[in-house]
Amino acid sequence: MSRDFWVVFRYELRRNARRIGYLFTSFALPILLIVGLFAYQSILARDLAAQDPQEMAEAVSETFGGDLTAAGFVDFSGLIQAVPDDAADFMRRYDTVEAGEAALAAGEIQVFYIVQADYLETGRIEIVQPTFGLGQLMEQPIVSLLMDAITENVEGDRRFRLLDPSNTTFTNLQLTTLGEGSSDELEGGAFLMVYVFAITLVMSLFMTNGYMMQTVIEEKETRLVEILIATVKPGDLLGGKILAMGLLGLFQVVAWVATLFAAVALAGGSGLADTVGLIGTLANIQISPSILPVLLAYFVLAYLLFAGFYAIISAISNSMREGPQYAVIFTIPAMLPLYFIPAFTTDPNGTLPTILSLVPITAPMAMIQRLAVTSVPPLEILISLALLVVTVVAVMWLAGRIFRVGVLLAGNMPKLRDIPRLVRG
Amino acid sequence: MNHRTAVTVEHISKSYGSFQAVSDLSFEVFTGEIFALLGPNGAGKSTTIRMILDILKPDAGRIAVLGAPLNDQAKDRIGYLPEERGLYRGVPVLEMMVYLGSLKGMSASAARRGSMALLERLELAEHARKKVSELSKGMQQKVQFAVTVLHDPDLIIIDEPFSGLDPVNTLVVKDLLLDFARRGKGVIMSTHLMHQIEEMADRLLMIDKGRQALYGTVEEVRQGFALPAVRVEGKGDWASIKAVDHVEMPENGRGEVVLYLKSNATPDMVLGEIASRPDLFIRSFELAVPSLSEIFVSVVQNRPNGKGNGNA
Repeated sequence: MSRDFWVVFRYELRRNARRIGYLFTSFALPILLIVGLFAYQSILARDLAAQDPQEMAEAVSETFGGDLTAAGFVDFSGLIQAVPDDAADFMRRYDTVEAGEAALAAGEIQVFYIVQADYLETGRIEIVQPTFGLGQLMEQPIVSLLMDAITENVEGDRRFRLLDPSNTTFTNLQLTTLGEGSSDELEGGAFLMVYVFAITLVMSLFMTNGYMMQTVIEEKETRLVEILIATVKPGDLLGGKILAMGLLGLFQVVAWVATLFAAVALAGGSGLADTVGLIGTLANIQISPSILPVLLAYFVLAYLLFAGFYAIISAISNSMREGPQYAVIFTIPAMLPLYFIPAFTTDPNGTLPTILSLVPITAPMAMIQRLAVTSVPPLEILISLALLVVTVVAVMWLAGRIFRVGVLLAGNMPKLRDIPRLVRG
Repeated sequence: MNHRTAVTVEHISKSYGSFQAVSDLSFEVFTGEIFALLGPNGAGKSTTIRMILDILKPDAGRIAVLGAPLNDQAKDRIGYLPEERGLYRGVPVLEMMVYLGSLKGMSASAARRGSMALLERLELAEHARKKVSELSKGMQQKVQFAVTVLHDPDLIIIDEPFSGLDPVNTLVVKDLLLDFARRGKGVIMSTHLMHQIEEMADRLLMIDKGRQALYGTVEEVRQGFALPAVRVEGKGDWASIKAVDHVEMPENGRGEVVLYLKSNATPDMVLGEIASRPDLFIRSFELAVPSLSEIFVSVVQNRPNGKGNGNA
């Protein structure tokens, strides 16, 4: 590395580390998010603890009946003895189907439920509406009423359990975790961790490379670039920027993760971890040391790949407005694995996840998702990394060539047929 | 003048696709001189400068800068200010100067000291900690000039050095450039201000359509375009002078006449007769040499025949 490389590196590091946007997203944003999460979870926990089963049932009824102003029902099963006073205006009882349908036609109610005589054996309920409306297509109001009726003689927790019978977690025998244990909580944590990592990677990649693009386009717009490359080799100029932004990106990720762990420690200390599901889950995450180097390798290679792409874009863009528009060409494919989350969770070693984890532009996101939920054959990881390395080298070489001449261009964007000339320099 | 060469350009050519930007161009720039590079827009001046600076590679030919093909050490000894220039707008002046000085191999402390000294000389010291965007256009121009010469380069390449400067600051920059040349530095100056070239430059190269149109000392180039005539201001029957063929009266409002000489007559013969005759009175007498501006227009308008002397 030449002297100029390090001069550019130090300058870009200092200059961009002081950007308000960078400082905000690195420090203030994660703290705000954690504080928000704590507040939300604390309120939820307090509400859960405060409610008794009856109130809970009413809350459910209110929640699901929220879009309706009035509903009616006829009960041929005879199960519903009485409508609670506070729901009487909302749930109106009719003795016959004709009476209910007349009320429906008159607009007194918006939906009419017919509880069949064999409801207890078959669960059959008919919903009648004047016109089709998704917002009113809900069975919960009558179900709540029926549940209240059915569980009338059941006491305490049993009644609550009947109303909310399961708090489900899913276990897939193929699954491994990032940690050493195998509890459901830990598994959920590993899965969550991967998405935290994926989102962090995306944000950090796009933000720091976006800054790099800004600095290059600024130098182009002001024509300072001509003075710079009369002194500094284009490769040193670009390399110094890429390393500086890469370190800032990495530091940003470290800051985010540190904030998260600080929050976890805080939650554990105050006892919240036991009651607040998400924070409690995070508190139990232990990342296996063997996974860390792989995650780091993907982070670094993904960063370099996109740095190359962004360098090419910034070299041929003429304004801050143009650059981000063209960056989408690369960012959308890179995020493709996030659009196929179901494929990764149901069959992480299936054809689509495997292909996406080998194609260099999608590999970082795809492989991280697979590593979170299953054991990927080491050979696949090696092939994926090797393909990524080769692509990074090729893109960097191309970026260096195009950057050299591209930064001097002013005016129109070069056309596709100009690219070979730019590469030749 | 010390005639060590600062730049040697030998038969360089450069094309962009089918467009021939520079064609078989050769010239030398000496240390201790101000060398003017001129030509109409699109003539190939910027391409030539970029090839000297190794920003662009010539398709053919050879360039030596400060005695050798351009290398990293030599780059540190060059100060370059292109025509289209700018600065980081959101960065304080001093911080940016220190950065650009560091890229030229200066230590941070030397760059800071040098920057402050230059800013003092350019009357910008009080603005050192202001952001570039807070400065007026003229101040920014001066900062750009300061950045160019901050590292005391041995070769200065400067495109339109007086662009955006008021007459006072033009004088300041002009003095600085002359001072650099006096101290043995090579200065390549590209400008369309012909009177500045006449006042400052030792030699010039005019490029037209990528080719050499004029090359030599300013005086040689002007002499090459000298008419067989003298320019006189005064009173008398000019046509009665024996050595004069005919008289023209340019409409420049200065009461001048141009006396065209007979084929074997000389200006001395005209001056001698004027001195000996009491009916002829002169206030000024000079050879009818066109200005650089007139030569420039003549060369451009009379392509392809207007080649000048081309051999100075």
